[in-house]
Amino acid sequence: MNTKVLKASNLSAFLDAVLKTRRLVAPKLDGDLIDFREVRSPAEIASSRDYVNPRTSVKRFFFPRSEPLVTFARTKDGFTLDEPQTLFPPTVVFGCRPCDASSLPIMDALYQWDYIDSFWFKRREATAIVAVSCVRADESCFCTALGGAPNATAGSDLLLTPLREGEAPAEPPAFLCEVLTPKGEALVALAPTLFTDGSGDKQAVRRTADEAFAALPPKLDLDAIAAWLAKNFENPRWAPSSYKCWGCGCCTFLCPTCHCFDIVDEGTLRHGQRRRNWDACQFATFTLHASGHNPRPDQAARWRQRVEHKFNYYVQKFSVRSCVGCGRCIRHCPVNMNIYAQLQEIGTI
Amino acid sequence: MSTPTEELQARARSLLEGGEVDLVIGHGQGNHPQRTTPVFITKADDVAQLVLSPFCRNNLANWLTRKDIRSRFKRIALVAKEPDLRAVIVLIQEHQVDPQAVRLIGVRVDRPGDPSSPCALLPQTTLEELQKHLKGDFQGRDLTPDQLRQVEELEKRTPAERWAFWREQLAKCIRCHACRQACPMCYCDQCVATMNQPQWVDTSAHPVGNFAWNTIRAFHLAGRCINCGECERACPVGIPLMLLNRFLARQVKAHFAYLAGYDTEEYQPFASYKPEDTEDFIR
Repeated sequence: MNTKVLKASNLSAFLDAVLKTRRLVAPKLDGDLIDFREVRSPAEIASSRDYVNPRTSVKRFFFPRSEPLVTFARTKDGFTLDEPQTLFPPTVVFGCRPCDASSLPIMDALYQWDYIDSFWFKRREATAIVAVSCVRADESCFCTALGGAPNATAGSDLLLTPLREGEAPAEPPAFLCEVLTPKGEALVALAPTLFTDGSGDKQAVRRTADEAFAALPPKLDLDAIAAWLAKNFENPRWAPSSYKCWGCGCCTFLCPTCHCFDIVDEGTLRHGQRRRNWDACQFATFTLHASGHNPRPDQAARWRQRVEHKFNYYVQKFSVRSCVGCGRCIRHCPVNMNIYAQLQEIGTI
Repeated sequence: MSTPTEELQARARSLLEGGEVDLVIGHGQGNHPQRTTPVFITKADDVAQLVLSPFCRNNLANWLTRKDIRSRFKRIALVAKEPDLRAVIVLIQEHQVDPQAVRLIGVRVDRPGDPSSPCALLPQTTLEELQKHLKGDFQGRDLTPDQLRQVEELEKRTPAERWAFWREQLAKCIRCHACRQACPMCYCDQCVATMNQPQWVDTSAHPVGNFAWNTIRAFHLAGRCINCGECERACPVGIPLMLLNRFLARQVKAHFAYLAGYDTEEYQPFASYKPEDTEDFIR
């Protein structure tokens, strides 16, 4: 929509203005990792130079790892059902990367497919995304392979891109601020005097992102990969590709676009809750039937599911891939499974 | 002179070419110079994938009990560091691994994760020899000074302080079960955490569910944990799980003078009974 410049020295003042009326979630150092936390002061926020990507993705601020859907209680005459006391506070997610931001429209498609998921959309409505472009990538990042970019705008309300003077690696003197939605405009309007016009600085953005681009892989032939996947459900390659996968939920739970959940009832005979919890297709019990039959009996079938779902089924259903190339499933996989290498292998068959 | 990696590759090649095994499980290069990834070698010509470096971290004993591997391969060679050997010993004690069906390729990595650490292929090739070597080399040195200091610091705190500490740490748990899948001792066909008739453990990642899961996991490892640290390394949200395991290991050592994973002939404290035991609940 329009482009502004925010001096780095004004960033704290801007976030202070945000904190006056909104909950602020941002990357924060916790132990030896950086992850999204609710923060009370801009001083708590980790510098965007100190992380490639926060440990977990933004999805948990829209689709929490566990949440009540309904509460129930037994009465003399039967039972009562009540809405849970879920709050949807106005929130700003600051400092996520463009890959995480771009996951949100992908998830919207699912959550309004055959049923409008009110929990997801109430949080979407209450939340604004202020993403910060990447100036570097690591060996697990692959957004560009999927058509993304370190400075892509999809899903963001504001996108801040560090502007650099010369080659100085110090704190950027300013951010180029792309105002992308009415929600983004409303955020700028919280402290309009902190922003100046930046319509002439597009070139600077390009230059800044180059460094991250240089470390990222070229675009994959995703159509050919989807076509191979559609024809190779029974391919013997799936087994050796999955021997090392030990079947935890690390990849799916850190993934910004994995969205599967389980619904459970918890409580006593008298009262309880029906809750929605994250679930993972890599768990052996994920598809276990009550009869004892398991249609995905081994890790080969479960690993195949993860690849097929993201790069074939989801594309057929929603015309978009359920992956943004954030690299968390490679970076934090305890055995270094590599979905990008799997796609490359498929692409060269 | 050949490098440790070349010696390892030669040993693997001879095992495969001689028909002694149909699979070698080892470490290969990961997607970062300081990461490795498990590799599964079935052909002698593929042994070049094997590496021996300070970054060989995964406990490969984990795969000896995995159905996907056991259903396909009968005779397996395992590249085994100290913790992997200790895990294999516990698995043999617990009758999960047939010592006749596994060939051990013993290796030593002196300082795991330290780029300058020496690594070597061990000359011992039989379980008996390796076990003797383990005992001579490592017995009594179950915790490093750093690990010991961390446990002792926690032990010194009051119960209220420990409660507050674990409350904060376990709040991070997302129930991905990477800790369970990472653990060579967690081989149950059906985990108590996934049973739902009855539901022993709440699957929700709320304080009750997270406490139930993490304490059950730790309790089941008392007297069995061999201090490989895989659970803590696997945890994507950084919970210091090994503090719990090491705390319990110290209790077991203090009360039973027992360290897990050094001798296949030893009885495990929580899986054995002696007539002279002082407790009478079992009589």
